[in-house]
Amino acid sequence: MTEEEFQNSFLENPIGGFNPPVVKKKRNLPGNPDPEAEVIALSPKTLMATNRFLCEICGKGFQRDQNLQLHRRGHNLPWKLKQRSTKEIKKRVYVCPEKACLHHHPSRALGDLTGIKKHFCRKHGEKKWKCEKCSKRYAVQSDCKAHTKTCGTKEYKCNCGTLFSRRDSFITHRAFCDALAEETARVSAACNNVAMDTLNYPFMGITLQEPSMAQHFSSIFKPISSNGETTIDKKQGLSLWMAQGSHHHDQISSNLQEIHQLGSVSSGSTYAEPIVLCSNIPPPSDSELNWVFGNKSSSINVHEELTSTSLPMTNVKETGTDQLASVPSLFSTQQQHSHITSAANMSATALLQKAAQIGATTTDPSFLGCFGLKCNSNQVQDANTYCGLFGSSTITNNIGSDVESSANDISTLNQMQLYPCKRRQIRRDDNSGGHTRDFLGVGVQATINQWMDLI
Amino acid sequence: FTPKDTSIHYYPSKHQSINGQILNMQSNTNRPQSSHTSTSWSSDSGEPCGTGNKWAPRLLKECARAISEKDSSKIHHLLWMLNELASPYGDFDQKLAAYFLQALFCKTTESGQRCFKTLTSVAEKSHSFDSARKLILKFQEVSPWTTFGHVASNGAILEALDGESKLHIIDISNTLCTQWPTLLEALATRTDETPHLKLTVVVTANIVRSVMKEIGQRMEKFARLMGVPFEFRVISVLNHLGELTKEGLGIQEDEAIAVNCIGALRRVEVEERGAVIQMFQSLRPKIVTIVEEEADFSSSRHDFVKCFEECLRFYTLYFEMLEESFVHTSNERLMLERECSRNIVRVLACDDINEGECERRERGSHWCERLKEAYSQVRFSDDVVDDVKALLKRYRTGWALVLPQGDDHHSSGIYLTWKEEPVVWASAWKP
Repeated sequence: MTEEEFQNSFLENPIGGFNPPVVKKKRNLPGNPDPEAEVIALSPKTLMATNRFLCEICGKGFQRDQNLQLHRRGHNLPWKLKQRSTKEIKKRVYVCPEKACLHHHPSRALGDLTGIKKHFCRKHGEKKWKCEKCSKRYAVQSDCKAHTKTCGTKEYKCNCGTLFSRRDSFITHRAFCDALAEETARVSAACNNVAMDTLNYPFMGITLQEPSMAQHFSSIFKPISSNGETTIDKKQGLSLWMAQGSHHHDQISSNLQEIHQLGSVSSGSTYAEPIVLCSNIPPPSDSELNWVFGNKSSSINVHEELTSTSLPMTNVKETGTDQLASVPSLFSTQQQHSHITSAANMSATALLQKAAQIGATTTDPSFLGCFGLKCNSNQVQDANTYCGLFGSSTITNNIGSDVESSANDISTLNQMQLYPCKRRQIRRDDNSGGHTRDFLGVGVQATINQWMDLI
Repeated sequence: FTPKDTSIHYYPSKHQSINGQILNMQSNTNRPQSSHTSTSWSSDSGEPCGTGNKWAPRLLKECARAISEKDSSKIHHLLWMLNELASPYGDFDQKLAAYFLQALFCKTTESGQRCFKTLTSVAEKSHSFDSARKLILKFQEVSPWTTFGHVASNGAILEALDGESKLHIIDISNTLCTQWPTLLEALATRTDETPHLKLTVVVTANIVRSVMKEIGQRMEKFARLMGVPFEFRVISVLNHLGELTKEGLGIQEDEAIAVNCIGALRRVEVEERGAVIQMFQSLRPKIVTIVEEEADFSSSRHDFVKCFEECLRFYTLYFEMLEESFVHTSNERLMLERECSRNIVRVLACDDINEGECERRERGSHWCERLKEAYSQVRFSDDVVDDVKALLKRYRTGWALVLPQGDDHHSSGIYLTWKEEPVVWASAWKP
């Protein structure tokens, strides 16, 4: 059952990549059978039998007696077709004879004779039919036929852009692919305390996406205006926190929003890793915040202050964990700036410290410019410079490989640091989000200032 | 090995074709005077490759014979000729000649050990996770040489451990864990209750150990993606696989054990193989899967010429397979050929000293004899056989699965054949 559902998910999402069966879906219960219906329990033999009615002359088998009778005419044999009985035909429902089966109980009876036959064969029958191409086995011939039609036509696409026609080689490739290594794997919900000694995700915030989300990136990289509005709202909260330059805050926030947008592709995934990153720090009540505030040492003030303003807290909650994925990217750019190689090993503390440091020492837009990596295709030229981190001109695809190559591209980073941020060009076209939304009703300016003070 | 039906039979080795000119040499095998030898040589020396292909096996076998007869002038001449003609970047014969020449040379000069060490350290230096991964994945893409054993073993393991909730696989293989992603996926999708899987990898080669950490990380990430509770451990054993213990491997009482051994038994010194098989038994596994390449370098290990000829036969097949599977300019193929050259030196020119990786293959039937002392065979189920056949369909033609029949003695295991020559043997056993 699961396997079929798994297959189905591929059919829906053929190029969507590998959809891991994390949750095993339960079939919906069929409609309740008519309580007035007559419950029939056929024997296994009956259910599995095909063509029980045999012609005595030629041995040809038929599923129904009616068909046999009609056939007998051809042999000039006496034939008799049963008339439909005059009284009302009572509605019939069928139960499965297998005692352990769910459908054995009348309340789960199936209304269709063909249905119960197929069910019995599928669940309790021998798998006699086999797909030629992949040797998958089926008990019901129609199932097998349906499968063979699509077998081998599926294509599987890895995050890194490679296409596969064979599932097994796709799976093996995926397990070893660098795109997987840089992703935050789905951590099981219970896992909140994974020791993150290696931060593989750093600025590769974008690659935190699940595999199936890879295709979403192309949409993300479309002009902001087209899909900016809808998602912008969600991102405001974090941008509040992130904004450092007061006079640039609106632009920054828009830049950040765009970043958040990039990071928000996956829906409902647990980016536990970036969050967890800070879980070894005295957490505020909300563990999701940890990564933001998590801080072992001196920046504890920051942590507490920020908590007290409850600035992002609400926002984070509202916006969900999926944005958080992108924020680490902001920090990690700092990492990249200072120590490419040790980026993977910096703790949350250090990240925050660095952020604080840089924020305090300079309102240099170049720093913030890093955040402005929009890859907004409206501003491709500039985006390219900034997108050096995220991969150069080919924004829309092969994210994994681009990111990979740019991971080592220190020079692009330096570029970003040195060149003044071309802020204007990065600003979104549409100004509706020009002002940072004030979710808390605190007053945007006030919050920004508070944050600035803390640094 | 008795194939299933008479339609499959060994073709005589292609290299038996006689090359008229070179045949002249045969007449000189009665230990002629050196001058006589040299004159008869010079008449031939100009032309061997002019007569087309397949000169390499002839020359090589002659040289091997000369070495075993200690006919030094003949040896020198042949080595010289081979050296002139051989090239690892040339055509098939030239390649074959180059790699085997190296081994013959080492044998003659008794420098096998040193040569092997050098080749190994060179390989280790250029070895990295990326290169190893690229190599093996590419190989698996173009050839079922390794995936055959994977599919068969995974199928057997899944069936044997069906219903268990805590699985522990002891993996002693040379395929860098490429077997496990598909098993993880199967565990995630096929079973109702996803069991917990612990994978303990036993590493015997230095070159593998260096990349195992990275591999482990990838496996763990992938298992998370699949939603399979997973634990990965690496145990390093340089020699004396037989010394592993239950405690050493971290086996718990409530675990269902599978021992998976791909291309590893042949690395155990011939005398120790019985001990290793016994050791597996002490781990109380529910299933043991063994996959090995079909060749015999063991029984002939004291007969140089015989061993040489078997070596030549096997590696000729392997090189041909590589040539037909990869594109002509493939770097991966070159890497694999080089790996073979190391193994050839190891088998032919190194005495069996305790340095592991002895690479002395045995035939499936021979392994069966050993294994039957401790285990009973497990037939691969029809489903598994079907899976393997489906796998082979995905590759180029030439590959087939053969189920040996005949007396019980030989009926366990399945063979992968290439151009109707059996090349890989896979089997499953239970205590």
